[in-house]
Amino acid sequence: MKKLGFVVLVLALLASTAYAAQVLHMYTALDGNEWPIYVRAFEKATGIKVEVVRMSSGEVLARVEAEAKNPQASIWFGGPAVDQIAAKKKGLLEPYKSPNAWSMPLAFKDPDGYWTGFYFGAIGFASNTEQLKELGVEPPTSWYDLLKPEFKGRISLAYPYTSGTAYTVLASLVALMGEDEAFEYWKKLHKQIHHYNKSGSACVTQVGLGEVTVGIAFAHDVIKKGISKGYPVTLSFPKEGTGYEVGAMSIIKGGPEPELAKKFIDWMLTAEAQNLMKQWYRIPLNPDAEVAEGSVKMGDVKVVPMDFDYFGREKDRLIERWKNEIEYGS
Amino acid sequence: MYTFKQIKRIWNEPVLLAMIVLVVVLLIVFVIYPIAMVFFKSLQPTGEGFDLSVYKALFTKKYFRAPFFNSLKLGVSVASVGVLVGYIFAYAITRVNIPGKVFFRTAASFPIISPPFVIALAAILLFGRNGFITHQLLKGKLNVEIYGFWGLLVVETLAYFPTAFMTLEGILQSIDPALEEASLSLKASKWKTFWRVTFPLSMPGILASWLLVFSQSMADFGNPLILSGNYHVLSVAAYLEITGSYRIPYGSGLAILLLIPTLIAFFVQRYWLSRKSYITVTGKPSAMRILEPTKWVKAIFTLVSAFLVGIIFLFYGTVFYGSFTKLWGVDHSLTLDNYRYVFDIGSEYLKDTLFLATIATPFSGVLGMITAYLVARKEFPGRRVVEALSLLTFAVPGTVVGIGYLLAFNQRPLMLTGTALIIILVFVFRYLPVGVQNGVAALYQIDPAIEEASLDLGASSYRTFWKITMPLMMPAFFAALFYTFVKSMTAISAVIFVVSGKWQLITVAILGSVENSDLAQAAAFSYVLIGFVVIAMFLLRWITNLFSYQERIRRARA
Repeated sequence: MKKLGFVVLVLALLASTAYAAQVLHMYTALDGNEWPIYVRAFEKATGIKVEVVRMSSGEVLARVEAEAKNPQASIWFGGPAVDQIAAKKKGLLEPYKSPNAWSMPLAFKDPDGYWTGFYFGAIGFASNTEQLKELGVEPPTSWYDLLKPEFKGRISLAYPYTSGTAYTVLASLVALMGEDEAFEYWKKLHKQIHHYNKSGSACVTQVGLGEVTVGIAFAHDVIKKGISKGYPVTLSFPKEGTGYEVGAMSIIKGGPEPELAKKFIDWMLTAEAQNLMKQWYRIPLNPDAEVAEGSVKMGDVKVVPMDFDYFGREKDRLIERWKNEIEYGS
Repeated sequence: MYTFKQIKRIWNEPVLLAMIVLVVVLLIVFVIYPIAMVFFKSLQPTGEGFDLSVYKALFTKKYFRAPFFNSLKLGVSVASVGVLVGYIFAYAITRVNIPGKVFFRTAASFPIISPPFVIALAAILLFGRNGFITHQLLKGKLNVEIYGFWGLLVVETLAYFPTAFMTLEGILQSIDPALEEASLSLKASKWKTFWRVTFPLSMPGILASWLLVFSQSMADFGNPLILSGNYHVLSVAAYLEITGSYRIPYGSGLAILLLIPTLIAFFVQRYWLSRKSYITVTGKPSAMRILEPTKWVKAIFTLVSAFLVGIIFLFYGTVFYGSFTKLWGVDHSLTLDNYRYVFDIGSEYLKDTLFLATIATPFSGVLGMITAYLVARKEFPGRRVVEALSLLTFAVPGTVVGIGYLLAFNQRPLMLTGTALIIILVFVFRYLPVGVQNGVAALYQIDPAIEEASLDLGASSYRTFWKITMPLMMPAFFAALFYTFVKSMTAISAVIFVVSGKWQLITVAILGSVENSDLAQAAAFSYVLIGFVVIAMFLLRWITNLFSYQERIRRARA
């Protein structure tokens, strides 16, 4: 069996060196149904073949770190910027300033070019319209609306330690209110929560099915998994400002195909590529790109400025505090 | 002690020596090394240097302590209730002579061959927030909270009582009814006879099955992942710590906390209890006569058993019905869409799962037989240790195995992360113990005199092995194949750590569907999986009959 594994390994190595010139090796943290949309279009447009391995964003980080001496992939495509900032700090990335990213605000790219954003995702509220009617309330438009007695035991979201979405919620509350105030707020919110999920988008379907009335998730998930599927779901945003993520891509230091990786980054920022994200209801960062019907535009939502650097660094501590004071708090 | 002569004899049989070395190396690399890595990582919180800070945190922080005590509490409760239910069921079948025994016995085996979390899925379909009973029938008047301790207790009891039932059925059958008869003729009441004779004699079985069910509940991952709500248990906590927070040292520490009680339970059960069994099977002919109980007793036991089987049918029936509904809880109109989805979008999962399980099954079976042969028939130093090692993965919770493989094989020279091989290896070594055990049991039943006779008649030792030993081991081999295949198809707790984008498993897809509240889809996936298992069962039974020695003799006679 070990022999078989060895043979497979040798074959794989042979195959990869033989085609090294035309193949781009990619790690992606995008959904298994999403990355092919962009990758296949890129292959068609450029004739470059892409070998993709999909992992969660944290796994990509761990893998890139483990392979630092002998990187197996050239590009890290997708997943929140936070993890790529961590990779930058560990010296795992190669800077590249794409000419197509020049027009982008600084918040959506690394000042030194270590990572480049390609989409924007805002946290929003998903509400079940039928239940809102029964309860006689409007969709929540403020973080404090969630504390209304009508919503007691009718809200769900994910654990901040299992889901990037929920950690973004925690981070945006901290950015908005200050840390102590944010935890005081969540203590009150905790009493309204029906249950926590493991994945960030799970609450959308639960709202659709009427298991809970309000869910907190990324807007594109609310539209894709709720509204576009025909569930009685509506999307609203907190007027105080909401949190967001930037989906990022970066070049892995010492990867086998740096030039192809640069080509991919350039291509992904074109309006042509960014238009493809409509299918996933993502908000594009290229101002010339189109936005899907029912989706939100960049200017529609008030966002809280977020220091991803800080939240990447403080993640362990904030989550520790969350577990101690909220989940296992008295 | 091993004499020089014995060692020399092994030396003179190079094939045998090679086999022993191969088995020992494989066991060390794929059983010991991964578990050692888990332990090692838990002592290395910063990546370098060793300290106990992880364990200090595990015992001082409430969010680590809670899962440990939750798991223990759940394990003890499930074991106690499960053994009680299993005992009643076993007593009803062996002592009360209730009608429809075969039917009851078959129903009790459902939870064993189905994916472990189908019962949790059924519980959500019936009693969840959109549940058929809570939402449709009671219209939300009765608020049943199945997410948490009580839900898990019911679900795990249903899932694991069959283990207790099968152990106890064997024990009760081996108690000679003549002893009970003697007690009765000495004028003891039936009640007194039960408490003074039957019950004490079945005590070793009760303890053994209690420990087995306790370990199963502790190690359970699928049901708590779906149903635990805010009642965190160790297996899920370790999983979340590693895949959610990437705090590998803490996840490893939790895994070690999970490993210790299950290991203790296993070794107590295997090496201490097994010696205390009260053997009443003496080989003397004793017609297995069942003392006819009173009508009332019979009626009560029949009713209780029927109730239990009724629940099993209700649960599995609900999942079956659910797999044909459009949108559970909202639109119950019937459709085949879910199965279309499974065979269309989900076909990748089906193919991968079938492929991986099919590759792993023969390897596990053959390796199991080789190990069994060495352990049962050959004398070599460390034989007992090899046996204990080959059975070890039986006692180790899947979560620990999964974390171990994740840690052990993500670096050179054994860089296996993300490959099919790592999943196959998990299957092969995780289900190896059954092959070994079956093989050893089969070999102990074969009198070595038969093999000696063959040798005396001039056959070479190879010819003897192929003509005598192998055919006699065939039933054990096929049973091991079936077990490995079924378990590989329905595995979740270990493999969830080593699946990758390239290789996906049905069970992982089912958990994803449940998390996304696509319950009908999850139900369809589950039944497709059960379908595969049933097909495999018939296929293997057919092949076994084809190859089995007894069958060939029967045909030769006919």
